[in-house]
Amino acid sequence: MSEQNTLPKGFETGAQETFQFRSSEVKNNAPAVNFNGRRRMGSGALGQAVEKPKDASQTLVRLFTYLGTEKKLLLVLFLSVILVTLTALAAPALQGQAIDLIFAGNWPRLGLLLVTLLGVYLVSTLCTLCQTYVSAHLSQRIVRRLRHDLFAKIDRLSIPYLDTHSSGDIMSRMVNDVDNISTSISQSMGSLFSGVLTIIGTVCMMFYYCWQLTLITMITVVITVIVTKQMSLLMARVYRMRSRVLGQLNGHAEEMITGYRSIVAYNRQEDIIAEFNKTSDELTKVSIRAEILGGSMGPLMNCISNIGFVIVSAFGGYFALKGLITVGVISAFIIYAKQFSRPINEIAQLYGSLQTAVAGAERIFELMDQPDEDNSGTVELEEVKGEITFRNVNFSYVPGTSVLTDFNLTVKPGQKIALVGATGSGKTTVVNLLMRFYGLDSGEILIDGVNIQDLKRDFLRRNTAIVLQDTVLFTDTIENNIKYANPDATEAAVLNAAQMSNCHRFIKRLPQGMQTVLIQAGAHLSQGQRQLLTIARAVLADPKILILDEATSSVDTRTEKNIQDAMVKLMKNRTSLIIAHRLSTIQDADKIVVMDHGRVVEMGNHAELLAKKGRYYALYMTQFAGSAT
Amino acid sequence: MLKYLKKYWMFCLLAPLFMLGEIGMDLIQPGMMATIVDDGVLAQNLDVVMHEGIRMILLVLFGGLSGILCGVFANLASQQFGNDLRKDLFDRIMHLSFAQTDHFSTGSLITRLVSDVTQIQQMVAMSVRGVVRSSVMFLGGIYMLYRQSPRLAFVALCGLPFIFGFVVFFLKKASPMFHVVQQKLDIVNNCLQENIAGARVVKAYVKEDAELLHFNDANDALCATTLRVQTLLAFMTPCMNIVLNLCLVAILYVGGHAARTTGDISSGQLMAALTYIAMILHAVTFMANIFQTFTRAQASVKRVNEVLHCEDVPATSYSHATFDTFDTLEFRHVSFAYPGTAGTILQDINLTIHRGETIGIIGATGSGKSTLLQLIPRFYDVTEGSLLLNGRDVRAYAPETLREHIAIAMQRAELYSRSVEANIRLGRPEADVWAIKHAAETAQADDFICRMKNGYYTLVSEGGHSLSGGQKQRISISRAILKDAQLLLFDDTTSALDLHTESRLYQALEKACPHTTKIIVAQRVASIKDADRIVVLDAGQIAACGTHEELLGTSPIYRDICSSQLKEATV
Repeated sequence: MSEQNTLPKGFETGAQETFQFRSSEVKNNAPAVNFNGRRRMGSGALGQAVEKPKDASQTLVRLFTYLGTEKKLLLVLFLSVILVTLTALAAPALQGQAIDLIFAGNWPRLGLLLVTLLGVYLVSTLCTLCQTYVSAHLSQRIVRRLRHDLFAKIDRLSIPYLDTHSSGDIMSRMVNDVDNISTSISQSMGSLFSGVLTIIGTVCMMFYYCWQLTLITMITVVITVIVTKQMSLLMARVYRMRSRVLGQLNGHAEEMITGYRSIVAYNRQEDIIAEFNKTSDELTKVSIRAEILGGSMGPLMNCISNIGFVIVSAFGGYFALKGLITVGVISAFIIYAKQFSRPINEIAQLYGSLQTAVAGAERIFELMDQPDEDNSGTVELEEVKGEITFRNVNFSYVPGTSVLTDFNLTVKPGQKIALVGATGSGKTTVVNLLMRFYGLDSGEILIDGVNIQDLKRDFLRRNTAIVLQDTVLFTDTIENNIKYANPDATEAAVLNAAQMSNCHRFIKRLPQGMQTVLIQAGAHLSQGQRQLLTIARAVLADPKILILDEATSSVDTRTEKNIQDAMVKLMKNRTSLIIAHRLSTIQDADKIVVMDHGRVVEMGNHAELLAKKGRYYALYMTQFAGSAT
Repeated sequence: MLKYLKKYWMFCLLAPLFMLGEIGMDLIQPGMMATIVDDGVLAQNLDVVMHEGIRMILLVLFGGLSGILCGVFANLASQQFGNDLRKDLFDRIMHLSFAQTDHFSTGSLITRLVSDVTQIQQMVAMSVRGVVRSSVMFLGGIYMLYRQSPRLAFVALCGLPFIFGFVVFFLKKASPMFHVVQQKLDIVNNCLQENIAGARVVKAYVKEDAELLHFNDANDALCATTLRVQTLLAFMTPCMNIVLNLCLVAILYVGGHAARTTGDISSGQLMAALTYIAMILHAVTFMANIFQTFTRAQASVKRVNEVLHCEDVPATSYSHATFDTFDTLEFRHVSFAYPGTAGTILQDINLTIHRGETIGIIGATGSGKSTLLQLIPRFYDVTEGSLLLNGRDVRAYAPETLREHIAIAMQRAELYSRSVEANIRLGRPEADVWAIKHAAETAQADDFICRMKNGYYTLVSEGGHSLSGGQKQRISISRAILKDAQLLLFDDTTSALDLHTESRLYQALEKACPHTTKIIVAQRVASIKDADRIVVLDAGQIAACGTHEELLGTSPIYRDICSSQLKEATV
């Protein structure tokens, strides 16, 4: 009767626990939702999400450092903006003069003036052209660099980071956030410049005419600043939220579109769509709020500047009445007061776009500020012999859940070592550690007696080739995929590698042979064919240490037998680490290491271990029980 | 595309209405300003200043409110429009056939969903707010100019054909370029996606720098194309400006001439004419901007429509047939090649599978085992011949109906960044925890799941990177078992399991679902040797079919496979 209330083992932790990997920030922007679209984590809801108060000005400064390197372009932009602003000021004056001349009947001078006016317009047009042209170049150059830096950063991110963060969200930073910055720069830089310029010029003129009135005008400025400040507090929050929800939406979309096969196979499209719709609705709500706030800035500023105008008029009239200033001064002053409101208005209109850019830049810089993959170590060995030693290695992905415990293993140069054991016994982890994808908790790994932490990371990896269970191919030609590790390889070498790994046969059957571009990174190839291609890649890499992590799990045993000779050749003079479940692949290893729960439980060669009648023997028997007859 | 906007016609109407309020205020306000200056300040009448001032402030507040409300409605329309479009697009993407997804490529689908929809949405936002504003300003400006002086209006009208000529010229040139921009964006996205997904290999082969160069190529191409469009369009506004400015000078000249000869134009009229020209200029610039967004969005509309309107490949061919119990599955002269590729993967397959049977499929890499399985739930349709379920062509069933009765565990386990429980539950959402637990136990996954820190509620990282290959496969198998379907398909899903676990799994599976029809693709003889029948595939054809013992006697290929695995079994 108590069964109703108790939960089965493994379910006790319940939904109230938060699910986290190593660090607290992991997936912090992806509320865990199960497939019914029900939220499992109460704290992930939008309204409660804590937007970290970040310093927007700091982000701006950093964005400006990107601008700063484009000094020449900036200078040209600046000059053309000055000229545009000047011509914009000069043209009305010339027009006024022209009208005066017309009604004064001064024809010869009118002709000259009109020509001058034409000239001014021409300059203005050319400068406008220059301004847009330079803005476009500026924005594209900066965007190019931002993308470049971002990509370089993504390449330098550690595997643990990539393993635990949504790739769609990372992509969203690259696409949407960078795009927002680009739009912002190309559209607002010029207006921002000319706006600031006009404001400064106008204020100077105003001071020149009447400082008292100018000070009163400044009330408007103060109000503007206060309102902007309040608005920007509100806006920054909403814009940031929008960027984040957008990232979340894109993350979800990316994951589901790339992994849609299972969704389709289980008819779960509707659930996934419902979930997507929910996030999409959230995004819409936030976007509407953001856009309304951004769009309100213009009308608000317009109101303020008009109120300012009334104030100036009232005080101006009062001052004139008191005889403090002349009527002529007021009329000039008022023209400037009117002019004053235009650039403020313009800047206000751009404010939303700027906020979007800042929110995007924050997300970009946040990614750029992630620590690089550990790159310590400078030692480069003259010649790698290939001796590998694991000494008292302890490791856990999640603190408290040990994956490797006091792991010890020595591999002599040129030896072929096979790691066997139940799945989850830590075999792949050994590879992760050896490649420095993950750092150890304690203990050390030595290659030729040198701690791998002291080795130059790239040196370590260059001398080690891995073929992974999850094949990674790129949307490129087959040839380039094989040549991946060694782009300079000759055609003959590529062909040889393809032959050795037995993939030449299916490559030959393809209409374009080696030059066939893999659709969707090889979606039409069978898993086994994909594995053969990655083996060919390793063959060409010509490493000192070779790691095969279930490299042939999807290759049929006959094909595997065909490549056996090649493998033997490949492993000759190399230290090889093989993880496989097929005993046929590993029985001729020099040493077989049987692992269980992160520990080495048996070690020896095939015959020795069989004779021992221990765990290896048991494994061996299940493979052949009943079929050896 | 327009039908998406229909729903929000109210907002689309209200936004310009309030916009009119704002423009009206913009038009009246200068007059009031003039009154304040002329009659108030310059006449030194503070009463007028206060009186008119308060009126103006009220008016300005009204105008501002109108402006804000216009923004509210414009955004309600455009954002919700975008939302509907995005949702429909995602819905469509999730219902694309595998062949269609292959055709578009996932990277491009993501860009279309993420970037193209945004472009279209921006266009709508801009249109709702801007079209009315600029046309009112444009037409109003011309009308006012005409009222001031028909002759001056005529001068201005002479310039208009040139302006529209420029607009058409530039946009015609830019339109195809925007399409290319989005394509280049696809490539950048794709490159990025592959790099993130393949980070381990990139790092293992120390290819970071090479990948960066590769990415730079894509990035440069994107930037160069974008720059080309932007540079082209940079000429548009100045070109239009120069025409309008020429008009302006011409008006001054013509107006001056008129003032001198006939004297029917006053200085005030001339000044007003200049103001209206400026207004028209403003409107035209704005319009050019809208057209630009329009053209850009046009490319996106095309790309989104490509997905939205792409033919349901089998749309007409099924008649919504249903079935309750699975009886037979027959491959009749089935041949298959992936759409758009030349190589035949399967050739003249003939095979009948009966209810309750366990069929093993074995064969060389690339012999078509996985492809054979993928035809059953109609991931792809046969190229030739027919696949019959209960005697009817599978194409008579809607894919959803078919998949309702089929559970498939994929070769590459697809896991999602949510809890283990949710990943398994995908098989049958209404299942209770005990059923999930039971399915996991059968799949030999319960042990390791329970050992994880949060048990079944442990979060799986994207793509399942936090799990070992065998763990991923077993979660994926749990999912398939949980579904409790009549047909269970395993596409080499136990390849990463050690033999001990695998054999326990198959024993448990036999006990848990003894009557389910199972089709098991495998590499290892041990996985399938107890099957009722084993099909040996070779180069897309069935080479032999029979029980393990029969095949050992009759099929040299099968014997070869066995011996390759039992090489030294007699040691």
